Amino acid sequence: MRPILLQGHERSLTQIKFNAEGDLLFSSSKDSVINVWFSHNGERLGTYEGHNGAVWSIDVDTQSRFLVSGSADNTLRLWSVQSGKCLYTWEFTTAVKRVAFSEDDEQIVCVTEQRMGYQGAIRVFRINRDGDGTDQSEEPESFFNPIGSKAVVCAFAQTPNLIVTGHESGKIALFDAKTGEEVLNNERAHMDVVTDLQLSVDRSYFITSSKDKTARIHDTRTLMVIKTFSTETPLNSAAIAFLKPYVLLGGGQDAMSVTTTSLRQGKFETRFWHKIFEEEVGRVKGHFGPVNTAKPYGDLEIED
Amino acid sequence: EDAAEESNVSAELIAQRKRLVDEWNAWRIRCRDELPAAIKKKLGKAKKEEEEKEEIE
Repeated sequence: MRPILLQGHERSLTQIKFNAEGDLLFSSSKDSVINVWFSHNGERLGTYEGHNGAVWSIDVDTQSRFLVSGSADNTLRLWSVQSGKCLYTWEFTTAVKRVAFSEDDEQIVCVTEQRMGYQGAIRVFRINRDGDGTDQSEEPESFFNPIGSKAVVCAFAQTPNLIVTGHESGKIALFDAKTGEEVLNNERAHMDVVTDLQLSVDRSYFITSSKDKTARIHDTRTLMVIKTFSTETPLNSAAIAFLKPYVLLGGGQDAMSVTTTSLRQGKFETRFWHKIFEEEVGRVKGHFGPVNTAKPYGDLEIED
Repeated sequence: EDAAEESNVSAELIAQRKRLVDEWNAWRIRCRDELPAAIKKKLGKAKKEEEEKEEIE
């Protein structure tokens, strides 16, 4: 199958997401713009403009109605997928590093950065889906500051009001969104910063990637490591293939040192690993920089 | 002799893989049984299809 190259961002991508049907692909970038593409031909359908800084994270609800984004401009924004209009903006004191919808589309969770005397925070907002989407509550439904190592990635776990997080230290944890209590943790899930966390369709397990050069599958309820995929390069992203027994791992060294190393040494491939046998089954070359994010759908489409 | 050894090795590999697949499937069935009702309901039909395909041999 010929890969489809989506060209349109001026700076590196930070996250990509398919909608539930898989016909639309959303991409966020450091160029402060969010794009939406037709996934079957790579044609750009539209853009979401308004952020004044790198867009770190995006998520789309299961109805393809609302898009949420978090940015270095210290805002969390809710967008109309169809019209491209920004419906609501929440402002914070630090950058929004990660956003995610709950499985019922009713809530959003976001992680804000720890910086300049501000603690890193996790907030959960309840989304008012009535009307045109502009009537949102400014106040979060819950708010807490994880103690210890700062959280960098997050998502809703299986059970309502339970948040799964990945931390700078390599820790993964489950938090009660209502009380802010750390319900469970695995301090040694990774030996270095967790760079990505993606859940399986039924949310019963998830994959994490880390700068420690491994990706791991964990049981969402127990946080036990089920599988480990050991590579020779720091990883930026890990994704679970849909209906196929593979995981996709993306990595490479930091963009800063790209110019000083050859492409070969940079190891900018997307690797396919067998999910159950923990063996590498293939690589896709053709990236000119580190693979920052990967998200498979159907025939295993990937982007950098 | 070489061929015999090779087939021994591959027999071992197949046995090992079968064990890994069995372990995985047993864990997946456990996960599914313990899935919260809300998610079970949501997955509904889609889940049925996936279940059949996800059991890998």
